[in-house]
Amino acid sequence: MFWIRQIINGITQGSIYALMAIGYSLIFGKLLLVTFAFGEMVVFGVFVSYYLYAIVGLNLFLAIIIALPISWGLGMLVDKICYEKFRDEPRFLMLITTIGFGIFLKSFTQLIFGTGYRSYPNFIEGKIIVGGVRITYIQIFIILTTLLLLYGLNLFFKKTKLGVGIIALSNDLDAAKLVGINVNKSIKFGHSLGVVLGVFGGMMMVSYYNAIGASMGPILGLKAFTVVVFGGITSLPGAIIGGFTLGILENLSVATFGSGYKDIVAFVILILILVLRPSGLLGKKIDLF
Amino acid sequence: MKRTTLILSFIFILTISLSMGALAQTDTVKIGLSAPLTGDYAEYGENFQYSVQIAADEINAEGGIRGKEVEIVVRDSQGNPAQAAAIAQEFVNNQDIVAEIGDFTSTACLAAAPIYESAGMVQLSPTSSHPDFAPSGEYMFGIVGTQAVEGPFNVKELALNYLGLDSSAVIYINNDWGVATMENFVASAERNGLEITGTESFMEGETDYSAILTNLERDNPDGIYIAAMYQEASQIVREIDRMDWDVELFGPSSVFSMEFLKLAGEAGEGFVTNTIFYWEEDRAAVQNYVEEFEKRAGRRPNLHAAVAYDSMNILADAIERGGFDRSDIRDALAETGEYMGVTGKIKFTDAGDVVRDYLILKVVDNDWKVIE
Repeated sequence: MFWIRQIINGITQGSIYALMAIGYSLIFGKLLLVTFAFGEMVVFGVFVSYYLYAIVGLNLFLAIIIALPISWGLGMLVDKICYEKFRDEPRFLMLITTIGFGIFLKSFTQLIFGTGYRSYPNFIEGKIIVGGVRITYIQIFIILTTLLLLYGLNLFFKKTKLGVGIIALSNDLDAAKLVGINVNKSIKFGHSLGVVLGVFGGMMMVSYYNAIGASMGPILGLKAFTVVVFGGITSLPGAIIGGFTLGILENLSVATFGSGYKDIVAFVILILILVLRPSGLLGKKIDLF
Repeated sequence: MKRTTLILSFIFILTISLSMGALAQTDTVKIGLSAPLTGDYAEYGENFQYSVQIAADEINAEGGIRGKEVEIVVRDSQGNPAQAAAIAQEFVNNQDIVAEIGDFTSTACLAAAPIYESAGMVQLSPTSSHPDFAPSGEYMFGIVGTQAVEGPFNVKELALNYLGLDSSAVIYINNDWGVATMENFVASAERNGLEITGTESFMEGETDYSAILTNLERDNPDGIYIAAMYQEASQIVREIDRMDWDVELFGPSSVFSMEFLKLAGEAGEGFVTNTIFYWEEDRAAVQNYVEEFEKRAGRRPNLHAAVAYDSMNILADAIERGGFDRSDIRDALAETGEYMGVTGKIKFTDAGDVVRDYLILKVVDNDWKVIE
């Protein structure tokens, strides 16, 4: 019983990691944009929806629907500031620009939305009890959304011109330019899509935990980064499998060794995987730098 | 030509403002404030800044200290011990600063302590409750009371007397304060016959507590002692609520805050803690402070804000008696008789910390109520 409950805990946490990793994997894995402002962008987008809901007084779903295009705009802005000028420069430049922008965005979020934690409402209340194990509806909803987004993105990359273009430029940037793909437009679109997916995932996460704070950003970005590297940088399904695996491993290590070992066990396994399979669980080999 | 004019006028303005600064110096006494204005503890840092400024404004309205106006020099430590140490270096090198108030976390205070100690400048921490802080140096003072006193109070008065528990689990934040809080609670529990079924820690910034709580629930304790700041504590009680775990909730005074009520909602109902400051206490000094704080900050002050207000006042009292010399201030502060602040009676022990009288607080109908 105890172990089943710990595995369920792990699946829930893993589904949240996976949800965050989808957007991150799109930006980092497909567009090959190094980003360390992801968590901060997510928190900002979620705060916009919180503001519209709690301060302006809109319906929660309306607030979410308005916050997503604003997050899209934020994605465009970040591309303009952190990436556009540096498309042909060495990639570590993006590391610097996004770290810098991340620090700015976190402080900016604190300035306009406050420094403390805020209480975020539940989308869906209620739970079912199966064989003595409690599963909340929002847990189920998070897992379903993760799978649905994965399916939708797969369609996008296979069936749409923009999606195919993004895959092409991630395979070979120069060849993609030669066959007439508008690289600038594709990257802008893909980046904003990644940000919006991240914000949407973030909304579900804070709705599950019922709390949002400006200081949550960096750790979110770091976890998403870990999960994506773990699952395979270039692979979306890999990112999702990586998310679930990391969540379950973390929780089982707490159950076995106690809380102090949570990160140690998870990161030892991460290091092992990187030594044995440097491109992650499902990833292909790429030259990032 | 144009550029030369620009540079010349710039130098002119610089000289004027510098010399005006030098003139002003003779009329002000500077106090350093090191506080986490950004980062995870930014809200506490803001509370420090509001409270210390309120106290300074009140002192200045009554003519300042020994005729000099109080000026607060604020630096942001980001809750980062390395940053707190760098700020300490800046403060001790600035001859105009006579004493320092800060920092918020025990970790940051302990990191800065050797620098203040060797330079001979008072570090008066409003909130450090680590039992090692004040004894770590002649110039170290803490006014919130230490876990060496609060821990046994929580065992005897909260767990055994008020809640009537036989056993308790402990969940604590893995930093200097959290470890000291856990250790003092557990040590006292063993002496007083409260069984500890398990202890689990978490790192700062954690969002998911399900795994460690499931671990603790397995041993079925009567109560759970939550040694955390109010943000984390509210997340923890929400998770306990989601688990449908029926257990008595209690914790140290760090949980006492209006924000806890908002964040925890119904899940926080019945939470028991202690405090040395209560905003409904009907002393005029308390009510004036609460009113002014609400006006400036837009929220009620919590315990951690109130001790910062008392820190500024008690320091001003020491300077009034001892003069502007750094080591004279230290001696005067140590000799402070029984000072009555908004957080109650303050009298330093030989080590430089304070033994406090605690009130018991409980969340009843989503509000903090004092239990007589």
